[in-house]
Amino acid sequence: MSDDNRVIVVGAGPAGSSVALGALRAGSDVTIIDRKTNVGIPVQCGEAIGKTGPGLAEIEIPEESIRAPLRGFRVYSPGLLSVDYAEKETSGYIVDRRVFDKELFVRATEAGADSLLGARVIDLVRFNGTVTGVIIRHEGQRKTMKANVVVGADGVNSQIARLTGLRNSYKPSDIDSCFAYEMSNCNLDVTDLMQFLLGSEVSPRGYIWIFPKGNNRANVGIGIGGGIETKTAKQYLDYFLQHHDVAKKQLSQARVIETRVGALPVCGPNQTNVVDGALLVGDAAGHVHPITGGGMGYAMVCGNIAGRVAAECSAKGKVGSSHLQQYEKEWRKLYGAEFDQSLKLRELLLQTDDATLDKLGEIVTGESIVKMTAGKKVKIFMRAMATRDRKLIALMQELRKLRMV
Amino acid sequence: MSPATSTTKKSAKKLADVDGELCGVCQACATVCPVNAIEVTENYIVIISEKCTGCGVCVKVCPVGAISLINR
Repeated sequence: MSDDNRVIVVGAGPAGSSVALGALRAGSDVTIIDRKTNVGIPVQCGEAIGKTGPGLAEIEIPEESIRAPLRGFRVYSPGLLSVDYAEKETSGYIVDRRVFDKELFVRATEAGADSLLGARVIDLVRFNGTVTGVIIRHEGQRKTMKANVVVGADGVNSQIARLTGLRNSYKPSDIDSCFAYEMSNCNLDVTDLMQFLLGSEVSPRGYIWIFPKGNNRANVGIGIGGGIETKTAKQYLDYFLQHHDVAKKQLSQARVIETRVGALPVCGPNQTNVVDGALLVGDAAGHVHPITGGGMGYAMVCGNIAGRVAAECSAKGKVGSSHLQQYEKEWRKLYGAEFDQSLKLRELLLQTDDATLDKLGEIVTGESIVKMTAGKKVKIFMRAMATRDRKLIALMQELRKLRMV
Repeated sequence: MSPATSTTKKSAKKLADVDGELCGVCQACATVCPVNAIEVTENYIVIISEKCTGCGVCVKVCPVGAISLINR
C-alpha cells in the first residue's frame, strides 16, 4: 500500500468511521486503528440519535441497529410538571450502539479503509513540528505508521489530544459521570418519546433519562456533574429506581439486563482542534452538547467534514494547521453558536433552583426547549414577567443578556 | 514522561486504588487526572503509583465509586 496520501484515524467509534468515510469519498487512503479489539463494546451511551446528523453527514443509519423510532421528548421539571415535544413523523431513533458502531466501522472497511484493532498509540511521529504519523503498540510490537494527516477520534480520554497538546486533562466539573441500566419488563408511559427528569434530588447538575428501546425494554440512565456530589451516579440512579414516583409507575417490574458507565465532556469544544498534521473530532474534540450530552450526530457531521478536509489537504501536500483550519471553520459554522450558547445556558441552569425550574416548566413549550437547546431565541419573556416570580424574572434577564429570550 | 509529574508536589501519603470488580472502564478518572497517572487498557484501568499524587480528583468523578484513596 502506498502511503502517499494516507489519513490515519485513531478510534473506530461513530466519529472515526465518519472521518474514514469522508476521507475515502474525497479520494484518500485511510487506516482506522483502535485500542480495542471489539468495536462498539462496551456501550457507554444513551443511544439516541436524531435523523439530522446522519443526513448531513450523508451516512445512513444502519437499519439493523434501530431499536425504536422517536418523535421527540418529555421533560419532567423537579416538581414533575411535564413538557412534551413530539413531531408528527419520526425524527430520530434509539439504536443499539453495539450494532451501530460496528456497522459504521464495517462500512468504512468495505469502502476501502484498512483497519488495525488492538493497537494502542503510544506517541506521535513528527517532522519539523508537523505530525507525520503515529507510533503504536500492536501484538506486543512497537510499530511506526506514517500518514499525511492523523485524526484523533479517540473519545473523551483522547490520547491524541494529549500527545498533540490540544487538551491534557479536564476539570471534574467539565465532565458528566454517567451510569445506566438497560432494562427489560418496562411499562413505559410513552414508547416514542425520550423521557428526561431534572432536579437536584434526582440528578444534581444533570438529568435522568428513560429511553424506549422497543419490546418493553429501556435504557435508563443518569448523568451528573462531576466533582461536587456526595453520592455516585449509580447511587442516585438506584435511589431513583426505588423511590421515585415515575420509576414506581413505569419501572417497578423492570429487570436489569446490562449495566453501563460513561463519561462526557460537557464544557464545549476545545479552543482549537487542529495542529500541523493532526486534528481532533467527536468526544475528543468536545463535540458534545453541553446540556443534552448528545454527541453522535455532531461526531458524524464533524467527522465527515474532518475526513474530507484531511483528504483534500493530504492530496495537496499542505497539511499545516492553517490548511486544516478549514475543518474548524466548517464545523464551527454549523455548530459553533449552538455549543457556545448552550454552554452559557448550562451555566445559568446549574445556578437555577428547583422551584424556579418548575416555574420555567410552566411557561415553556416543547418547541421552546428545542430552540433554546439549539442556542436560538425564544419568546417566553412576557410570559415569565406575568408570573411575577422574582427568581424566574432574574433568570430571564440573564437570558436576555445572552439574547436568548 | 509527563512534564507535570516533576512539577506537581506530591502529597505522597495517599494513592488512588481501583476496585476492579466495580470499575466499568468508563475512563472518567483518566480524563480528569492532572498528571496522567491513569492508563486505560481494553478491560481495566491501571494507576501508575509513581505518578499518582493522591489528589483524589478521580474519586470524585467515578460513577460507581470504584476508586478510593489508600495510604501508601
